Amino acid sequence: MSPPLDPAIWPSLRLALHIAFFMAIFFLLKQILELREMAQLRHLARPKGAFRIPLVMIAIAFGALLIYQASWQLTGMLRPQFIAFMQLHDRREFNPAHWIRRGRILDRNGEVLAYSEEIQGKVYRLYPDGPVFSPVVGYSQPRFGSTGMEAVANVHLNGGAPADLSGWGELGRQIVGGGQGPRGQDLRLTLDADLQRMAVARIGERRGAILLMDPNDGDILVLASVPSYDPNRISSDLFMSQDPSAPLLNRVTQGLYPPGSTFKIAVAAMALERGFDERIDCPADGYTTSSRYPKIRDHEYYSALEHGSRWKGHGRIDMRRALSRSSNVFFAKLGVIEGHDAFRALGERMLMNRQITLHRTPYGTYAMRTGRMPRLSDRDLYGLAQLAIGQGKLLVTPAYMGLLTAAVARQGIAVRPRLLDRDPPQGVARFMSADTANRLADMMRTVVAEGTARGIDTPDLSIAGKTGTAQNPQGASHSWFVGFAPTQRPTLAIAVLVEEGGYGSAVAAPIARDLLLAAHAKGD
Amino acid sequence: MQPKPHSRPRTDSLADAWLARWPERQILVWSALTVGLGFLMVIGSGYADGRPTDPRALLPLGLYALSLAIMHLILVSARFQGDQILVGTLAFLAGFGLLAQYRMGGIRLEDLSTPDLYLLPGGVLTMLAVGLALMRGRFERLADWTWAWAGISLVLVALLLVFGHRYRGAVYGAGLVTPTELLKVTVVLFLAGFIDRHGRRLGNWGKAAVPIPPLRALLPLALFWILLAGLLLLQRDLGLFVVLSVTLLLMLFVGTGRRGYLILGALLASAAGYLILEIFAHGQRRIAAWLSPFEDPTGNSWQILQGLSGMYSGGLWGEGFGEGHPEYTPIAQSDFIYAVIGEELGFVGCTLLLIFFLILFGRMLEIADRTRSNFGRLLCVGLTSVLVIQTFLNLGGVTKFIPLTGITLPFISHGGSSLVTGFVSLGLILAISERSPARRQGAQSPRTPTGRLRAARETRPDQAKRARKR
Repeated sequence: MSPPLDPAIWPSLRLALHIAFFMAIFFLLKQILELREMAQLRHLARPKGAFRIPLVMIAIAFGALLIYQASWQLTGMLRPQFIAFMQLHDRREFNPAHWIRRGRILDRNGEVLAYSEEIQGKVYRLYPDGPVFSPVVGYSQPRFGSTGMEAVANVHLNGGAPADLSGWGELGRQIVGGGQGPRGQDLRLTLDADLQRMAVARIGERRGAILLMDPNDGDILVLASVPSYDPNRISSDLFMSQDPSAPLLNRVTQGLYPPGSTFKIAVAAMALERGFDERIDCPADGYTTSSRYPKIRDHEYYSALEHGSRWKGHGRIDMRRALSRSSNVFFAKLGVIEGHDAFRALGERMLMNRQITLHRTPYGTYAMRTGRMPRLSDRDLYGLAQLAIGQGKLLVTPAYMGLLTAAVARQGIAVRPRLLDRDPPQGVARFMSADTANRLADMMRTVVAEGTARGIDTPDLSIAGKTGTAQNPQGASHSWFVGFAPTQRPTLAIAVLVEEGGYGSAVAAPIARDLLLAAHAKGD
Repeated sequence: MQPKPHSRPRTDSLADAWLARWPERQILVWSALTVGLGFLMVIGSGYADGRPTDPRALLPLGLYALSLAIMHLILVSARFQGDQILVGTLAFLAGFGLLAQYRMGGIRLEDLSTPDLYLLPGGVLTMLAVGLALMRGRFERLADWTWAWAGISLVLVALLLVFGHRYRGAVYGAGLVTPTELLKVTVVLFLAGFIDRHGRRLGNWGKAAVPIPPLRALLPLALFWILLAGLLLLQRDLGLFVVLSVTLLLMLFVGTGRRGYLILGALLASAAGYLILEIFAHGQRRIAAWLSPFEDPTGNSWQILQGLSGMYSGGLWGEGFGEGHPEYTPIAQSDFIYAVIGEELGFVGCTLLLIFFLILFGRMLEIADRTRSNFGRLLCVGLTSVLVIQTFLNLGGVTKFIPLTGITLPFISHGGSSLVTGFVSLGLILAISERSPARRQGAQSPRTPTGRLRAARETRPDQAKRARKR
C-alpha cells in the first residue's frame, strides 16, 4: 500500500508532479537531440539529404495542425458558438467557459434580473428575484446547463471577440494564466419587472399563468408562471421530483388548459366572418345534440337551482347578448350550425396545433405552443357543441389566449409576441378581418360594461374582455379572464389563468383589471 | 561516468556492444522514469479522489520497464546495430500510450490474465523478433514473396468479411481484434516488392509531349488495388483505404521518381473522394460535422465538440494526468486519445507529443535515405507513410483540422491490433537500419537464392572497407 497521503497536500503535490513530468519530457528531448550524434548509423550509406524535404513537409503539416488546435484550445473564447456549446453541454467544472462573467439580463427599464458575480474565485450567476422571472430568464448553471433566455441568448450574453487592444491583452493573460473570462454583453428584455412581480404576487399561493403584452408591437410585459423554481438554487431534486405543482413547467407558453368560455371569442369571430347575424333561441333547459349526451346549460340555470328557484332562460338572443352573458346554449347551437369545416378552417387560420417562435438563435428557441384542437369526425356533433364552448378535448395555452385577445385588439392581426425589442414587430397571422375584430371588440366591451365581468368595470380605464370558467376533469374549474384596454386604441392585452380558481369573473378578472390599471398608469 | 562510445564497433565483443548502445540505454532509462512520474500522477489523483489504491496499479509500469530492459539486453547481446534513437523514441511513445491507456482505465487489473497488460510487452517482443530475424540485411528476402503478400492481404480482408461481426459501423474479428490492421504491413511489403522489381518499367512514361503512365506495367497493381478497394469499402473501412492509397502513390513516386504519379493520384483521389461521399451516408455526416459543427452539436458533432471542450478546459498546461474528465468524450481512449492528452497535459503536452512523433518520422525517413537496398528504401518509405498519414488523419480529425476518419493514433490509441502492427512496422525499419545487404545492380539484381547468398557474403568486406575509410 502507498503511504497515507493527506488529501490537503495533494494540490501542491499534484502541481509538483505536473511540473516534474514536463521537465522530465523536456530533459528526455534534450537527451535525444544530444545523443543523436553519438548514435549515428555509421554502417549505412552517407545521408543524401533527400529525407529533409518530406520531413520539413511533415513538420509544416504538424505545425499547421497545432496552430489550428490552438485556435480552439487556447483562444476558444473567440468562438462564441463553441463557448455556448461548452456552457450548455460540457460538464467539466474546471472548464474556463463556466467562469465567463456573462452579461446581465435587464428588464425594459434597466432593472437587473440576472447578473454574474465572482465569489471566492468562482463565478456565480445570481437572480435577485428568485423564481419570479425564471419562466423567461431561465437559469445558467455549470452542472445543469441553461434554459430560457439564458440558453437562447447564450452567445450574446457571453460577449463576442475583444473590442479593443486592452481586451486582447486581457485575452493573452488569460491564455497563459487561465484568469477570469471576458465580460459578456447585457440583454434587455421587454418585461416590466414591477408588473411581473405584481402578477406573481397576485396569483400568490395558487397556481396560475399571466401574459400581458402590447398588441401593437408584441412586447411582452408580463410572462408569469406560478409556481416556478428558484434559478439560484438548481439541484437535481428539482428535476427528479414528481412535484404536482410542476415548477419547471412554463404554464404560459407550454401549459395546456381547457379555455372554457374565453374561446367563445374565437367562435364568435369565425361566425361573424361567415356572415352570421341572427338570433338563437336559448331555452333554460339547455341543448344537446342527442338524448344520449347530457344537456349543455347556462350557468344561470345552475345558480338558480342552487337557490331553489327556477330560471326562465335567455330566450331568443343575439351574439352580443350571448357573449356578454356567456351563454353556453347559444354557442353550442352556433357551433353545430356552423359545422365541422368551419371549425377546421378556424383551427388553420388561428394557428391551432402550432409552435410560435418568440425568439430564435442558432442555440435555441424560445417558443410558445398555441393549443391542441382535436380533429372531430363529421358525425360528432356533440363534440362540435363542446368545442364551441371551449370544452371537450380542446386545450390551449394562456399565451395563445393572450395572442387571440391581442389579435382582436389589433384589428384582427396576431403580432408575434416578443421578448427583445431588437426583434422587429412582425405579424404571424390574420386571425379575423378588421371589421370582425372591431365588432367583436365592441361586444367584449359590453361583457365588462354590463355582462359577466361587470364586477371589474372601472371609470379609470375602458377594459374589454371575456371571462371563462373552464370545467376541469381533474378538479375545480379553472378561472380565466382575457381582455384588452383601452377599448379604443388598445395598448395592452392580457390573459390570466388561475388553476382551479373557480369563477373567472371572481378570481381572474380582478387580477387582470389591477394589472391593466397598473400598466396603463405606467404608460407602458 | 560517461563512457566513450566506441567508434569502431567491429570487434563484436559484448563489452563493445554494451558501450555502443549507451545512448539507447540513456533514453530508455529516462523514458521509464518519465512514464513512472506520469503513473505517480494518475495514481495520486485517484488516491486524492478517494479511490482505493492497489499495489497492482504499478504492474503495467513494472512490465513496461522490464520489457525495455529485456529489449535492451537482447539487442546488446545480439550485437544489433539498428537505430538507437528510433528505439528510444518509440519506447517513450509506447510508454506514453500505456500511460494514457492506464489513465483511461483501459488496462484492467482485477485479473492478471487480462491481455491488456501484456500488449505492450508482447508488442516489444514482436518488434524484437522481427528486427532480429531480418537483421544483417535478411529483410531483402521478404521481396521474394511479393505476390504472397498481396494474397495474404486479400485473404485477410476477405476472411474478415466472411467471419467478422459489425460493431460501431465497422467490421471486427473475434474479440474486437481488427486483422485488417496488418494490411498496413502486408500491403506495403507487396508494394515495395512490386515497385522494386518493376521500377524501371513503372518509371517509363514515354517520350511523347504528353507523358502517359505505363498502363501495361501498372495493370497487375491496378487489378490488385481494385480488388482491395472493393473488399475494404464493403467493410466501410474508408480510413484504411485512404491511408493505403496515399501510401501507394508516395511509394510509386519514390520508386520511380515520377511526379506524374502524385498528379495522377491527386486527380484519382478527388474523383474517388467525390464518389465515396456520394455513396456513403456516414461520410457525408462527417463532412457536415466538420464544416459546420454547430449545426447539430448534440448529434453528429457531439464527440468532436466534447473532445475540443476537453482540450479547451486543458488550456496551455492542462490539469495534470488524472485530473480531467475525459470520460465525457465518447470513446476517448481510442480515436480521441489526443483530446485526452490535450485536456490533461494541455497544449504544451500535445506539442511535445508531436515533437516525439516528428523525431520518430525523421529517423525513419533518414533510414530510408541511407539504406543501400532499393527494396529496403521503398519498404521504409511505405511504412513511414502509413504511420505519418495515420497520425495526421487522427490528430487532424480530433482537432477538427480535417474531417474525422476514425483512424487510431499509432502507439497511443487503445487497440492491440494497431499497437502490434505498429511494432511490426518498427521492427522492419529497425532491421533495415541495422545493415544494408550488398549493393545490388539496380532493380535487376540476382533473385536466385545463391545470388542472394553471394550478395550477403560480399556485405562484410564492403562494410569493413567503409568503416576503415571513416
